[in-house]
Amino acid sequence: MLARLVVLPLALLMAGPALAQTTASPIPLTPAGAPSEVYRSVVRIEAAAQIPDYQTPWNSGRFGGGIGTGFVIGKNQFLTNAHVVSNARRLLITIHGSPRKYPAQVKYIAHDCDLALLEVGDFSDFEKFPVFSFGDVPQLESQVRVIGYPIGGERLSVTRGVVSRIDFSSYSHSRADQHLIVQIDAAINPGNSGGPVVQDGKVVGVAFQGLRQADNTGYIIPTPVIRRFLKDISDGHYDYYVDLGASTFPLYNPAMRQALKLKDDGNGVLVTDVTPTGSCDGVLKPGDVLVSIDGHEVDSAGQILLDGEKVDLNEVVERKFAGDKVALRWLSQGTWNDKDVELKPLPPARMYAIQYEKKPRYTVFAGLVFQPLDTNLFATSKLDDVNVRRLYSDYVPKGIFTEREDIVLLTRVESDPVNSQLGGFTGKAVDKINGTVVKSLKHAHELLNPATPPEFFVIELFGSPRPIVLPGNAIAAANKRVSETYAIDHLSNLEE
Amino acid sequence: MRPHLLLPLLLLSACDRPQAAVAIPAAVPEAPTPGPVPVSNPEEILSSVVRINTTQQSWDQAEPWQKNSPGKRRSLGAIVGNGLVLTTAEMAADATYIELESADGKRLAPAKTVAVDYEANLALLGLTEESNAKFFEGTKPLEIAAPPKPGEMLDILQVEENGTPLITSGGIQSVDVVSNFLPGQFFLTYEVKASMQSAASSFSLPVLREGKLAGLLTSYDSKDQLSDVTATEIVARFVKEGADGDYAGFPSLGISISRTEDPNFRLFLKLPENGGGLYVSNVRVGGAAEKAGLKKGDVILSIDGHEIDRLGYFEDSHYGRLYWSHLVRGAKASGDKVDLVVQRDGQPQEISAVLDRRDEVSQLVPAYAFGKAPSFLVKGGLIFQELTKPVLESFGNEWQSRAPLNLLDVYENPQKYESRGRRIVFLSNVIPTPATVGYEPLQSMIVTKVNGQAIKDMKTLIEAFKTPAADGLHSIEFDEEKFHVYLDESVSDTVDKQLLQRGLPKLSRAED
Repeated sequence: MLARLVVLPLALLMAGPALAQTTASPIPLTPAGAPSEVYRSVVRIEAAAQIPDYQTPWNSGRFGGGIGTGFVIGKNQFLTNAHVVSNARRLLITIHGSPRKYPAQVKYIAHDCDLALLEVGDFSDFEKFPVFSFGDVPQLESQVRVIGYPIGGERLSVTRGVVSRIDFSSYSHSRADQHLIVQIDAAINPGNSGGPVVQDGKVVGVAFQGLRQADNTGYIIPTPVIRRFLKDISDGHYDYYVDLGASTFPLYNPAMRQALKLKDDGNGVLVTDVTPTGSCDGVLKPGDVLVSIDGHEVDSAGQILLDGEKVDLNEVVERKFAGDKVALRWLSQGTWNDKDVELKPLPPARMYAIQYEKKPRYTVFAGLVFQPLDTNLFATSKLDDVNVRRLYSDYVPKGIFTEREDIVLLTRVESDPVNSQLGGFTGKAVDKINGTVVKSLKHAHELLNPATPPEFFVIELFGSPRPIVLPGNAIAAANKRVSETYAIDHLSNLEE
Repeated sequence: MRPHLLLPLLLLSACDRPQAAVAIPAAVPEAPTPGPVPVSNPEEILSSVVRINTTQQSWDQAEPWQKNSPGKRRSLGAIVGNGLVLTTAEMAADATYIELESADGKRLAPAKTVAVDYEANLALLGLTEESNAKFFEGTKPLEIAAPPKPGEMLDILQVEENGTPLITSGGIQSVDVVSNFLPGQFFLTYEVKASMQSAASSFSLPVLREGKLAGLLTSYDSKDQLSDVTATEIVARFVKEGADGDYAGFPSLGISISRTEDPNFRLFLKLPENGGGLYVSNVRVGGAAEKAGLKKGDVILSIDGHEIDRLGYFEDSHYGRLYWSHLVRGAKASGDKVDLVVQRDGQPQEISAVLDRRDEVSQLVPAYAFGKAPSFLVKGGLIFQELTKPVLESFGNEWQSRAPLNLLDVYENPQKYESRGRRIVFLSNVIPTPATVGYEPLQSMIVTKVNGQAIKDMKTLIEAFKTPAADGLHSIEFDEEKFHVYLDESVSDTVDKQLLQRGLPKLSRAED
């Protein structure tokens, strides 16, 4: 079916902390004529990160980190990947051939396109370095150089490769986003992440991910995506991508075209679903046929010709910003329609993306741990309950988010005399608390902590044979016991 | 096994049924079991048993027009009546050929299934042709033993390849109500401790007590040296009801239950601190309990005068503590009445239910379909199937997480879908053909309408495809997908003819 989640064996190219140290050897002289000057502007980024623990959300989480690459693109502007600096607690930048470490911080970060902009406290040492400028999407078969600090040594590394594919594909950092991507056959490795990919002295991409199952496939973020990021942050904050909020199905089938009374010209794509509250909500309807977007003819595979390349129709939307308009032309039950649709982001869609820089939300009630369902939780817990999986996959397409901002799950039961018989209820989603439909974690927390406790708290779970029942007068003591026994200093965290 | 409402009759709350663990601590037989010994009266014993050879072949759920590779099994059956042989239902499941073989190997005769109960794992076999009646000449049917008590010894009978009978004696270590073939189907079972050897037959064996039939061994765990033996009462009832060829089956009440051992839950239900009670968590529509007026939220306090404790057990005068379901499936037949005392809104009430048998075929998603060919339709390359548990199980051992989510949802929450029809029909896959260009990514989509007609099962689907629209196009609508898929009648006709030429034996099958 029209799957929303695409799981690809993509590997991010940040080097882990456990790298073998290599002994320093004398630096060979750079051959005459090599563009060594530009190397100075490619910096090594050392990141120390604190990764939140969604299984025990009150704990500090794990401390880790790794090595990535960044490069100077302007005054006190270092571009790198978001995944290099995600959840970072300390960032240090080193210049090629220098022992000095410059503390840095994240100025802007865009997890949906895996880009981040860093700045250092004092830029004066970098002032005289060349600044990288951006080129266009490199041509197929053309040669590029990847510069960075990959595993296998401490020093700068340069590899060469050929552009092998230009595609619209998954960005694995968030697990939920697809953008333009360029595949090259250079050996790029963990540590290359965030490094510039150069052609004719200009940056044509940022190295960011590889493929676990294949050799010599590296992926780079091309300049349209980078330019979009830089333009988005020019107003001082990052606003995320906008979303058309419509899914489509190809119209190759002659019977399908005949039924929709379309000419056999290979154009038009079928609208199959329109996301509630999305940009096209109330404009497009399932069953409509989309034929052009911003004047570009949409073919029956949902592709358009943009800058001489066949790309997904969403590429038009990709390059726009919140508030921008896109001109749609579509056929609806025999009638032609034209409209400029205002684009907006779709915040609920972040349900399907891994979140960073967030503190896990939870509330603990008499040892029962409630957490909102999201992809971070999915990634750490084994959630196999059919009802929970259904709520997750239907959350955006069926507009469940309009009724329930959060899907609240009972994720754990910390043993306590009051809950000793409730172990079998974990992993299920909460429907109601004392008869009230639970709309969010905050709402659940409020329902569980009223001014005067009821005789019984009755918690109904989806797909559970009976409700969970806890006596109101036993909660306060249980909370105290649980807090002390399990070292949970704060029984709830309702803010990210 | 995870609990879900589809498993018939009885299901525990959030916890699994405690297999044998809560069983009766019977007086464990004192002497360690010595293992198999030759029999003193081989002639007599061999005149009451026959070997059974079956060839079994199930249908391929992914390509429903064809069958999987066949397999063969052997077992030892007990002669229980005039030309009737008792064995496990496992032996009869998907059997394409059953052959009876005398213990000495001298006589052979083809056999057929006279009665089978897949839930109780019992089958009664008889001769296919009466002309073979001499097969049973000189045989002596086994009488049914009096039910043994926990702690008593039983004799497990095996026959070696050379025809020598072997008896392994073992004590009944515990008596419990467990499932031994299909998950969730619980029947009275003896756990017998005995060290057996692998003899010629598989572990589907007669179990004797003082020369009479006391049960049927259905499985043997060589590690723990424990066998599951279907209890005498169950065997006796099955033989009695099955012998006339019109087998009614074991009845059910049609409820799912939760235990009430959680003190907070008891307080909430206003149940006394030291009492028992079973919480009714679901009542199956059309079942005996619903007809009798039992409601979700009722608490069953007693069944036929037996008090039910908070874990679901009652005190059986013969066996000791047994799981409550035995009072329905085992102690009763279809049409029998069962008297319940339930607590509703804090007040005790008496409810009488007339038990009936729930036929698996009547279920929206049948849990098993032995011997039944799957219904399907291939239309222009689109493959439609009816949803059954075997279809879901064809997604592999991890089917509960691997099978498509929308189909699992039907299986787990059938009440949401029951009003739609007799079966759930879905587009399972697409064979790439000229008619299905562009449809290749479609799979596992539940069909709601074809050419405007509601789809209630395979028959209605086949019927609906007979009337395309005036322009020669079929329109197909799906659950949860807001677009129609179209199929050109003339193109799909041509494709269908080619598919038949290329080896599909048939394009549709609609079974009841």
